[in-house]
Amino acid sequence: MASNTPTPHLPFTRRRFLLDSARGIGLIAFSRLAPAFLANPALAAAVRPERDRSILVLVQLAGGNDGLNTVVPYADDNYYRLRPTLGIPRDTVLPLGDTLGLHPGCAALHGLFHEGRLCIVQNVGYPNPNRSHFRSSEIWETASASNEFLATGWIGRYLDNTCAGSPAGSHDPVAVHVNALNGSPETFMGAQTHPTFGMTPYGVGRGGSDQTRRLLEEDIGSPADDDGDALGFLRHTLMDTLVTERKVHDMLGSYRQQAEYPHTPFGASLRNIAALIAAGLPTRVYFVTLGGFDTHVNQAGTQARLLATLSEGLGAFQADLSAHRLDDQVLTMTFSEFGRRPSENESRGTDHGTAAPLFVMGSGIRGGILGTAPSLDLPKNQDIAYSTDFRQVYATALENWLGCPSGPVLGGQFRTMPLVA
Amino acid sequence: MSTSPSPEEAWEPLAPGGWDPAAAAHLLRRAGWTAPPGEVDRAVRDGLGATLDRLFPSEPLPWPLPEGAARFEETRLARFQETSKAPPEEKRVRQREERERAQAAVQDLAIRWLDYASQPGNSAFAKWVLMLGDVFVVASEKVKNPAYLHRHFDILARGAFGSAPSLAKAVSRSPAMVIYLDLNESRREAPNENFARELLELFLLGEGNYTESDIKEAARAFTGYRVRPAQGEFFFARSQHDDGAKTIFGRTGRFSGDDVIDLAYGLRPAGVRLPRKLAAFYLSDEPLPHGILESLGARWRDEGGFDLRWLAMKFFGSRTFFDPRHRAAFIKSPIQFHLGLLQDLSLCVTPLPRHTLAPLRQMGQVPFDPPNVRGWVGGRHWINSSTLAARRNLVEMLLTPINLETLNADEQRELAAGLGRGADNFTAGDGMGARFDGLAPGEAARRIAGTFTSAAARPEFIRALGEFISGVPAGPARRLRIRRAVAAVLESPEYELC
Repeated sequence: MASNTPTPHLPFTRRRFLLDSARGIGLIAFSRLAPAFLANPALAAAVRPERDRSILVLVQLAGGNDGLNTVVPYADDNYYRLRPTLGIPRDTVLPLGDTLGLHPGCAALHGLFHEGRLCIVQNVGYPNPNRSHFRSSEIWETASASNEFLATGWIGRYLDNTCAGSPAGSHDPVAVHVNALNGSPETFMGAQTHPTFGMTPYGVGRGGSDQTRRLLEEDIGSPADDDGDALGFLRHTLMDTLVTERKVHDMLGSYRQQAEYPHTPFGASLRNIAALIAAGLPTRVYFVTLGGFDTHVNQAGTQARLLATLSEGLGAFQADLSAHRLDDQVLTMTFSEFGRRPSENESRGTDHGTAAPLFVMGSGIRGGILGTAPSLDLPKNQDIAYSTDFRQVYATALENWLGCPSGPVLGGQFRTMPLVA
Repeated sequence: MSTSPSPEEAWEPLAPGGWDPAAAAHLLRRAGWTAPPGEVDRAVRDGLGATLDRLFPSEPLPWPLPEGAARFEETRLARFQETSKAPPEEKRVRQREERERAQAAVQDLAIRWLDYASQPGNSAFAKWVLMLGDVFVVASEKVKNPAYLHRHFDILARGAFGSAPSLAKAVSRSPAMVIYLDLNESRREAPNENFARELLELFLLGEGNYTESDIKEAARAFTGYRVRPAQGEFFFARSQHDDGAKTIFGRTGRFSGDDVIDLAYGLRPAGVRLPRKLAAFYLSDEPLPHGILESLGARWRDEGGFDLRWLAMKFFGSRTFFDPRHRAAFIKSPIQFHLGLLQDLSLCVTPLPRHTLAPLRQMGQVPFDPPNVRGWVGGRHWINSSTLAARRNLVEMLLTPINLETLNADEQRELAAGLGRGADNFTAGDGMGARFDGLAPGEAARRIAGTFTSAAARPEFIRALGEFISGVPAGPARRLRIRRAVAAVLESPEYELC
């Protein structure tokens, strides 16, 4: 080896590594520091996994989305009684039928509904609802009962169940989250450690972090003096992570999108998820957060903006996937920690409530409306009673979409719904 | 180091010539959360003895009961009585609300502890108490009462540098412990062995140093320990106590709970238990050479009379503690990583669970919430690709201004309350790299690495940092690059070590 070559950067992919090796650009110096795939040539040469995949994209509407103003019961006088200023006027809703309509900001979702690619599951919640953001998010993310505290998330347990027998060594992430602030979502936490990966909405770090990553590669880019010590161990682990980052970075950079995404962080997040799916990353689950739904004050404008962001983003995502002929591989589902109180408050907002509708989108689903609408024949400040348990939706996604028995994941049998075509 | 010192030499004081800036930085990083340059200078000036005196004060540094926990406790009795009178359906609702209230208050408590522990003057003391809490473990998940958790830490703080047997006795009366290890459920007719087992196995002796029969008999001695739910105070229910004769460690008598603790401290392993914990918590996740901890344990008993401050002084002042092989070789715990980062960047704890507790959960360590009665395992167990990413995310988060628009209503309130307490700089602003601004790029790179890390950074890394900084002309663009260079150092493997 010429001693004057610059410090080699990490091999970004297995293939690149093999190519580099074939050309004699040795990275053998990495040996004991190498990521698992480098140490196991049989795995490195293995063919990419299946093309027929089922991928789940979870969209978290953080803060508690007001369900009644999302899927509007415009034929119900009780609705307008409870919402004297916030009620969406009858003539502006986007009708779904004789009784329900979408918020006027949801044009793209409305279109998908009429194409049969959107399902609305009504009035989803759980018994003994909790009105704390933190706790109710935890209940949704861990799929626990209201009085049960679980340390693992429902996707984490899905991964525990499915990854147990998979060959060791692959370090592609099994789950990816796009979530600027919170790091890995509780949903992903398993009893075992799974390679998960996080991005900001604009990819693997906004400009700045990309520079940071390059500098870190310089730091670990040549063998440590003694790789058996704590520093060597840390470098090894960081290198694994950086290899994935670089790979993802390349996938995002070379992606040719076939739809116009809205210029919002949420739109950018979905664009990047589409890029990773199109590039063939074997990841099965994606998680993206859209926040700001905690509308205690002057709800109308805020929620209209957020729902438009949601609808336009999801519409572009679905169009992009269709153009790439990937739409039959992806099921997208929204959730929020709770809906909001049916009666509006004194500040033209709404307070924390209970059940709410959720959206399921994809070409492989049965469009339409599932479940029953909540009764709004309620006194002021009373919450609606849920009619579909959120774990039924999870059970359906696990059994009928991901092809995994739901009992061990959800700790019990929940009735599935006719959601998947 | 070519040869290991003998067990007797290992705990001799550091040779006077050994006290230099590197040694001072090592002490500050291990005893506290980090080693700010000003503090290193001060420690070098003061000398090792005076520095140890300051880090490990004979009087506890108080952590007053935070308002949220105080309010919870003040109104708890009234709520408790309301709930017990309520009809069944309403009772369930009230009990659920009580759990939610407790959980929110525990989160607030954790944030307030982090705030207390992040004050430079409290750091070493708070960390010592955290270490004791990692021996005498309780967990919020079961205790569900912020005031009890606070009291538990208060008990540990008051006994932090007193006699170890007295501390163990005080802990056995901690309401949090009485609830956590089921002493509350232990009756004369049916002694619950949970506390007795962990007392012997985890707190005092270690496995292999007692028999199953010792546990059963010890459990009898601890019957009658109760928490009065209304007052939230420990009391001794004489009618539930078994005061008959017990045989423990081969001795027979009508032993009380306190007698069991004294008997345990009469056994050799009790002297080694805490020194072993100190080594694992502060020094190394690899076992020390055989005989060294046994030697410290014997001296702690014979010379130190099981005094905790004696032990701290001996441990942190010793040749073994300052041994070069232990420098910059220990993986920071998530709490140390978080609080050290705040101190290194001169930041305050953000009073929001999502910004402060969520990163700690992703890194694997939330205050008052250990995984089980063994506490946190630590060392390399802290690190995997997910927790490492969480550490790097935290760095980026602290370099990004908080977006007020994405905060929930209650988060905005919390933030306002934090501002009201005088904390304002939650994220590092543009001035973060100012102290490196005027330097030549190569010197700036060296200083950045030297300021934040104890491990000697590789020359290639320093060179790359210097080239990166010099890539743009001096001015705003270079200031941005200095900022990214600082981020790279804070996200580097070297910064994970202390």
